[in-house]
Amino acid sequence: MKKEMKIVLPFYKIAYAVSFVVILSVIRAVVFTYEIGLSIEPPFAILTAVFCADTYVQEITSNRSEVQRLYQIKKRIYSIIQRLMIQGTFLLLLAVLGYGLFFAFQKPITHPVTESEILQFITCFGAIVVTIFFWGILANTLSMLFRNMWMGIGSSLLIWVATNSTGGDKLFGAWNLFSYSFRDIENTADITWLYGKGLCICIGLILLLALPKIVRKRG
Amino acid sequence: MSIHIEDLTVRFKNSVTAIDHADLDIPNGIFGLLGENGAGKTTLMRVLTTVLKPTNGMVTLDGILYSEGNYEKIQRKIGYLPQEIELYPNLTVQECLEYMGDLAGVPKAECRKRIDYYLKKTSLIEHRKKKMKQLSGGMKRRVGLVQALLNEPEFLIVDEPTTGLDPEERIRIRNLLVDFSENRTVLFSTHVVEDLAATCNQLAIMHKGRFLYAGSMKNLTEEAQGKIWICKVPDERKAREVEQKYRITSKQYVEGGLQLRVISEIQPELECMSIPATLEDAYIYVTNQYE
Repeated sequence: MKKEMKIVLPFYKIAYAVSFVVILSVIRAVVFTYEIGLSIEPPFAILTAVFCADTYVQEITSNRSEVQRLYQIKKRIYSIIQRLMIQGTFLLLLAVLGYGLFFAFQKPITHPVTESEILQFITCFGAIVVTIFFWGILANTLSMLFRNMWMGIGSSLLIWVATNSTGGDKLFGAWNLFSYSFRDIENTADITWLYGKGLCICIGLILLLALPKIVRKRG
Repeated sequence: MSIHIEDLTVRFKNSVTAIDHADLDIPNGIFGLLGENGAGKTTLMRVLTTVLKPTNGMVTLDGILYSEGNYEKIQRKIGYLPQEIELYPNLTVQECLEYMGDLAGVPKAECRKRIDYYLKKTSLIEHRKKKMKQLSGGMKRRVGLVQALLNEPEFLIVDEPTTGLDPEERIRIRNLLVDFSENRTVLFSTHVVEDLAATCNQLAIMHKGRFLYAGSMKNLTEEAQGKIWICKVPDERKAREVEQKYRITSKQYVEGGLQLRVISEIQPELECMSIPATLEDAYIYVTNQYE
């Protein structure tokens, strides 16, 4: 685990991710606390895609994958999942830090419809967990399919633009990948946005199940 | 451990034929694979490591046929050092080898023992705590060699391990390969003739996807005996004339003109004398004949 951490969390990645969150919390204005979640989710999706795109592709660009072809597929898959988990955990901690930084820099106030700040944080946390899970796996899978990190990032960005838009909201509604950000924040009883997050989990799991085949074919 | 290759063809999607109906037998011990850049050496190695599936033909390793169902069995017997490999720059030598050993399925305790043994053998023991990115090119290559040996492979494949190294480091790598060839088959690919002259008895010459020669080093040099000449010409103009007619392998300014090393079936019509052929002469002679 320690070695995987050293491989997937080099200093430059930590530095740009932390800078991204600090800058985001400084420049993204929020008035009410319930806006923090929707200010964090879409940018975190793109940060995750960039962060996780090289999870396996670094093995290809360094030619280590040629040696790894001799290893058991199970070991290789386990290593990729471990790497995704390490990066996901790091990004999740960063999201929590970002949530706190919004309070520090923007000093938002509680809107009357907000029933509980804790519940609001837990909801946001849950949504971010799914976002990081989905975009991490997606970017890694696309990078592996193209055998190129930049293609993985680029194609993830296209999906991000398509879904994180008014058009995407109209087209997919509650099934949008960003359903949490597009939900009616003043209607706390409406939980249909969970469909979108459920869809993210399903797609993520399918991509995970396809991983052995992708590693065999493209790894 | 022996490898048998029969009628092997590898054709890429862009219609380039990298290996063209090649036949070869690789016996136990260190076996050299010689050829210019683009001859198909790396493609052959990628087939042998199961990275690449051949378009046609058959390969067997100790009688085990290269087929989807046998790949796992074959892969366990192979150690591979690709031409260009960048091992984990942020890990120390020890960590990097432990990590790769773990991925290769070597039990932890056994892996540590083997790392100690091979680090001592490769004179890297005092560098084990250094990060990979702090090592010199030669040291990285040696670590690469150790990673290829961690699963105690019966068939070790090394692709141009001496390219870009200084002479001392090249000698070190060559000697290590000879040491590690005991009780196993080592396929040593290179385009540097002197690397093979110093390590192998058996070799194959690849050229444009075909084997032009496979056999002993001695027989190869014998093929070129009596066909290598040292000629003397008075000036550059005459040297250029000779170059038009014969294959020149070296040209050197000497007192009173130029000395040329000429490959020719018959004695050139110049002031010249026959000299014993070296492996390099023989290699040039064989490839020249094909062209």
